[in-house]
Amino acid sequence: MKLSLLYFDELKGFYKSKVMLFLWVGLPLVAVLFRFIQYGSTGQAISFTVISALIVSSLAGNLAAVMLAVSIINEKNRHVYELFLIRPIKRRDIVLAKFLSVYTCVAVASLIAVSAGVVADYLTANAFPATILNDTVQSLTISLSMVAVSCSAGVLIGIGAPSVLVGAILVLYGGNQISVIPLVPTMLNLPEASLFTVGLAAAVAASLLVGAVALFERKQF
Amino acid sequence: MASVNSNNSNDSKPFVVLREVSKNYFNFRALDNISLEINEGEIFGYIGPNGAGKTTTMKILVGLISDFQGEVLIGGCRIPKQKEEIHKLLGYLPQNVAFQEWRTVNHALTTFGRLSGLTAKQVESRIPEVLNLVSLSDVRHKKISQLSGGMTQKVGLAQALLHEPKLIILDEPLGGLDPLSRHQFKDVILELGKRGTTILFSSHILSDVQDVADRIGILSRGRIRQVGTLNELKTRMSIQKTIEVLLSQASDKWQELRSLRDVKSVEQVSPGRILANLDANANADEVINDLIQSIVRLRIKVRGVTLLSPSLDEIYLKHVQEGENA
Repeated sequence: MKLSLLYFDELKGFYKSKVMLFLWVGLPLVAVLFRFIQYGSTGQAISFTVISALIVSSLAGNLAAVMLAVSIINEKNRHVYELFLIRPIKRRDIVLAKFLSVYTCVAVASLIAVSAGVVADYLTANAFPATILNDTVQSLTISLSMVAVSCSAGVLIGIGAPSVLVGAILVLYGGNQISVIPLVPTMLNLPEASLFTVGLAAAVAASLLVGAVALFERKQF
Repeated sequence: MASVNSNNSNDSKPFVVLREVSKNYFNFRALDNISLEINEGEIFGYIGPNGAGKTTTMKILVGLISDFQGEVLIGGCRIPKQKEEIHKLLGYLPQNVAFQEWRTVNHALTTFGRLSGLTAKQVESRIPEVLNLVSLSDVRHKKISQLSGGMTQKVGLAQALLHEPKLIILDEPLGGLDPLSRHQFKDVILELGKRGTTILFSSHILSDVQDVADRIGILSRGRIRQVGTLNELKTRMSIQKTIEVLLSQASDKWQELRSLRDVKSVEQVSPGRILANLDANANADEVINDLIQSIVRLRIKVRGVTLLSPSLDEIYLKHVQEGENA
């Protein structure tokens, strides 16, 4: 009950602080802009859907990890958590609420971006890109798996890093690299690779979150 | 044990108990074997210089610091083992209270009320009450980040009171407040004390502690130097007894007061203000009686005669200096 309260509270925070607006409008906008730049420079039109999926896979994970790490470090250093920690709630729930809310925001932004790509393709080519839809769903699944790993890495870095600068550097160095782990089954051309990818991502994300929770439990405020 | 006369004189049972509590930050000993009892319904003022260990004590009590030595009990529950039980009993205002920037006053209080176990309905009815208590009713829907430091402090107090906790711990609650807000804050503390809430608060402003605290604890270099009511602290303190005589008309006849029994010295510290310092074992009441008789006999015109007792400032300085020299 406390977890859901904290989760919706965090979502409300992202909504009120306009983070959602920038994510949900920004990601599709970047995809559209990238499509026009790519078309202008190469003269070859790649579908909006594919471009959107590419943008999501390259940007969403980083965005999520940075969002989480910066937000946690900021709140930690401003002693915001003290008022939460003196209440009858589990520390674990604070960490999980943060993770889930950012993951939700970024996942919704990714879905909006890809959906916008599909709609843009329909409007410009007057055809539903059925041939690439299957690949898009698959790549979106992989991207969201990577986002889950990035988010959990962002949480761990946020709790452990002493300053926003250190946190940002660690996210760029480490968080980004860790999020590639779920791609291993695809790289090895395993059968049912996307299924393995989701499973591996869940395992890595869960391990990182367990570490983050353990660190947060031990933290003295 | 490092505590000095830490038991309250009345018969209330202790609600907060610290037994031989120590805390180190690497090589720095922040708390050195302190023992303290705070009774149910008592307002306890905790004073000491910067770095004395006040905030560390409070953070241990609220469960923010759990790696310490010694025993801490609140309402019979042990910290940190029964932290969740204890968190249902307490309200806390940290020294630098901070909220997420996007929160309005209403939203912050709703969240903290719900997290403290209140239902949505209870929160809805309690918010106007606490905002009224801290005089913030008109900013209920404003963002906290747009409020002044003093108002943010009041929001901090409001969140600590919202769920009507049995124990309220306030770390420097009066710092940064204007005189009117300080007065209001003190009224709130006194009102809560009347309702039976146990309150532990720290402050640098000794007059404020003097105004509201039932008992006072003086902390220096991680050790409790004195605990007691203000009168007990004054009685215990071996500061020289002094009688102040204020003349209404200039006269040199005051010099004859030097011959009085048990008077060690008499001096005019400023025009018309005479201080008579008494011997250590002098009975002040008897000396005042003799002094008044002499004044009448010598026909000295006076405005007043007062036995000066040590102020909390003097008591504080004495014990803190003793602590520094220890």
